[in-house]
Amino acid sequence: MLFKIAWRNIWRNKIRSLTVVGSIVIGVWALTFMMAFYDGFVTMYIKSAVENDLSHIQIHNPDFMEDKKVEFVVENVEDINRMLSSDSTVSAFASRSLNNGMIANSKGSRGCQIRGVIPEQEAALTRLNDKIYDGVYFDKSKKKNPLIVGQKLADKMKLKLKSKVVLTFQNVDGDLVSAAFKVIGIYKSGNTIFEEMNIFVELSDISRLMGDKTMIHEVALMLDDVGLLDTVQSAMKAEFPDLLIENYKEISPDVNLYESQMGVITYVFVIIVMFALIFGIINAMLMAILERSRELGILMAVGLNKLKVFLMILIETVFIGLIAAPIGLMLGYFTVLYYGKVGIDMRESMEKIGLNEIIYTELDVGSYFIITVAVIITAIVASVYPALKAIKLKPVEAIYKI
Amino acid sequence: MARFQASKYILMKNVITVKGVTKIYNPDTIPVHALRGVDLQIGEGEFTALVGPSGSGKTTLLNIIGGLDDASDGSVIINEQDIAKLSDSQTIEFRKQNIGFVFQAYNLIPVLTAKENVEFVMLLQGASQSDRDARVKELMSAVGLSDHLDRRPSQLSGGQQQRVAVARALASKPMFVLADEPTANLDSKSTADLLDIMAKLNKEENITFLFSTHDQRVIDRARRVVNLDDGAVISDKTIE
Ligand SMILES: Nc1ncnc2c1ncn2[C@@H]1O[C@H](COP(=O)(O)OP(=O)(O)O)[C@@H](O)[C@H]1O
Ligand SMILES: [Mg+2]
Repeated sequence: MLFKIAWRNIWRNKIRSLTVVGSIVIGVWALTFMMAFYDGFVTMYIKSAVENDLSHIQIHNPDFMEDKKVEFVVENVEDINRMLSSDSTVSAFASRSLNNGMIANSKGSRGCQIRGVIPEQEAALTRLNDKIYDGVYFDKSKKKNPLIVGQKLADKMKLKLKSKVVLTFQNVDGDLVSAAFKVIGIYKSGNTIFEEMNIFVELSDISRLMGDKTMIHEVALMLDDVGLLDTVQSAMKAEFPDLLIENYKEISPDVNLYESQMGVITYVFVIIVMFALIFGIINAMLMAILERSRELGILMAVGLNKLKVFLMILIETVFIGLIAAPIGLMLGYFTVLYYGKVGIDMRESMEKIGLNEIIYTELDVGSYFIITVAVIITAIVASVYPALKAIKLKPVEAIYKI
Repeated sequence: MARFQASKYILMKNVITVKGVTKIYNPDTIPVHALRGVDLQIGEGEFTALVGPSGSGKTTLLNIIGGLDDASDGSVIINEQDIAKLSDSQTIEFRKQNIGFVFQAYNLIPVLTAKENVEFVMLLQGASQSDRDARVKELMSAVGLSDHLDRRPSQLSGGQQQRVAVARALASKPMFVLADEPTANLDSKSTADLLDIMAKLNKEENITFLFSTHDQRVIDRARRVVNLDDGAVISDKTIE
C-alpha cells in the first residue's frame, strides 16, 4: 500500500514530477556522455601515443635511458630481430637510431630528435608512410639524404618540400657531424608536440655519417593483442636480461596517469551531477509534502508510524529516480553509440595540448551500472531531508492547518 | 438472563475517563485557555454529542482524548491506560488499535480508492487479504456504498466521503470512534444519512461514538448531550 500511495502521489502533480524526472534524465544523460567522452579521450590519447610514438614495448640499452649518449646502443639487434620475426603475437617491429641534434636553415636552428629509421620497418610499425600529407615517403631509388619533418616543425621553420637543411649531431667520438638533408615529405601525427621534435631520416644515411657504424638505440614493437603485453614483455626480459624492456605505461607516465585517473574522474563527474540533482529533488519533495501535509496528518492519526511515513517519501523519490534513470541511460547510450561511430572532432581546440585526433565516445557496462547506482543513492539521499520534515509534522497541526 | 446481565455489564463499562483536563495554547506568548478542567466519562456503547458554540473547545477535547494533542493538565484514561504515559510511537500504535477518527472534511487519502482507504488501516494492523476483503465489503455495505468501492475520493460527494471515513474509522475495530463535526460540510439529506448509519452501527454493533457538533438536527439524534462552553462542561444530559 505504501508503494501504491507513493507511486500514485508521483502523478498528482505531473508537471512537478516530470520536471524532476526531466532534470534527472538530463543529469544522467550528461553524466553518461561526459564519462564516455572522457573514456574516449583517454583511449584516443593512449592509442595516439602508442601508435605514433611509444608502440607497445620498447627495448633500450639501460644506460641510454639515463644518458642519451650515442654509444649506448642495443647490442644484440640481430638476436632481437630473429626473436621478434618468429613471434606470431608481434604484429610489427622497428629498429631506430636516436640522435639529439640540431636542424638549421637560413631562418634559424632548433633542437630536435633525429630518428634514423629503416623505411619498411617504420612503415609497418608506425605507418609513417601513411602520415605523409605533403611529398613522399623514403624511397631508396631517390636522392641522397632525404628527410621527413613534422608539419608543426615545417610551419615554424618555414620548411617546404625540397628545402635544404643542415643536421648536426655527435658521433661516437664526441665530434660534431654536419650534413645537408633535403625535405622530401612532411608528416602529420596527431600529436603536435611529437611533430615539432621528431624528424626522420634513413638509418643507412645516419650510419654512413657515423663512419659506417650502424647504431640502434631503440627497438619498438606492437602486439596483435595488448592483453598479451605482460606475457611477451616477461618472455623478452628472460631472453635479454641485459636490456631494458619496458611497456608503454612504464615509458610514458602520463599515459599511465590517464589510465589510472579514469576511475577518479568518473567519480568526480558523478558527485558533481549528484549534488546538482539532490537540491532539485529536495526542493520538489518539500513542496509536495507541504501540499499534502493534511493527508500526512490523517495518515499519522489513523496509525501510520514515523518509519512508514519516512519510507513512503523515500519510496516516492526512488520511484522518480527509477523512472528517470532508464530514460537518461537510454539517451546516453544512444548518444554514446552515435558519437562512438561518428566521432567528435575537437582537433582545433585540442591542438594546443598537442593532440590532433577525433574522439570516439565509449563507455563500458560497469559505468552504466555506476550511474544507475548513483541515481538511486541520489534519490535516497535527497529524500532524507523532506522525509524528516514529513515525520516532524504533528497530526493536529497538519490536519487543522488552513 | 445470564446474557442480558453480561451485556448490561458491558454497557456500564467506561471506555473514556477525562479527569480535570485543561488546555492552554501558547502558554508562553498569548495564552489561550481552550479547556478549563473538563471531567467526562464515556461508557461503552454510548452515542454522545459534544455540543457547544464555535471556539468552545470541542476540537481540542476530542484531539486530547484521541492522543493527537497533549493536555496541559489533568489526565485521559482510555480502557485503564493513561495515554499521557505512552511514548510517541506507543501513542500511534494505541490510536491505531483503539481509536477510530472521523474529521470534519477531507478525511480520505486522495490517491487511494474508497476500498483502499478503508483497507489501509487494516493493512497497518497486519490483517490478511481475506479478512480485509470481507471487512471492507461488510463496512462499505453498512455505509451504503457497496457499489462505490473503486471510486477515488474526488469522485464521491461530500456525504459519501464522510461515510467512507466512518467505514475507515471502524475498519480497525476500535474501542470507540471520535468524530469532530462530521456533518459540518454536509447538506441536510447527507447529514441525516450519515447519522442514520452511525446510529445503526451504534445500535446493532454496539460501537461507541463521541461526536462534536453545533447542528441542532445532529444534537436531536444523540442519546447523550454534553454541553461545552468556553472550555468547561456546563451541562450533561442523557436522553431516554
Ligand atoms: N493551535 C491553536 N493555537 C492557539 N489557539 C487555539 C489552537 N487551536 C484552538 N485554539 C483556540 O482554542 C479555543 C478552542 O478551540 P477549538 O477546540 O477549536 O473549539 P471548537 O472546536 O469548539 O470550535 C479557541 O479559542 C481557539 O481559538
Ligand atoms: Mg472545532
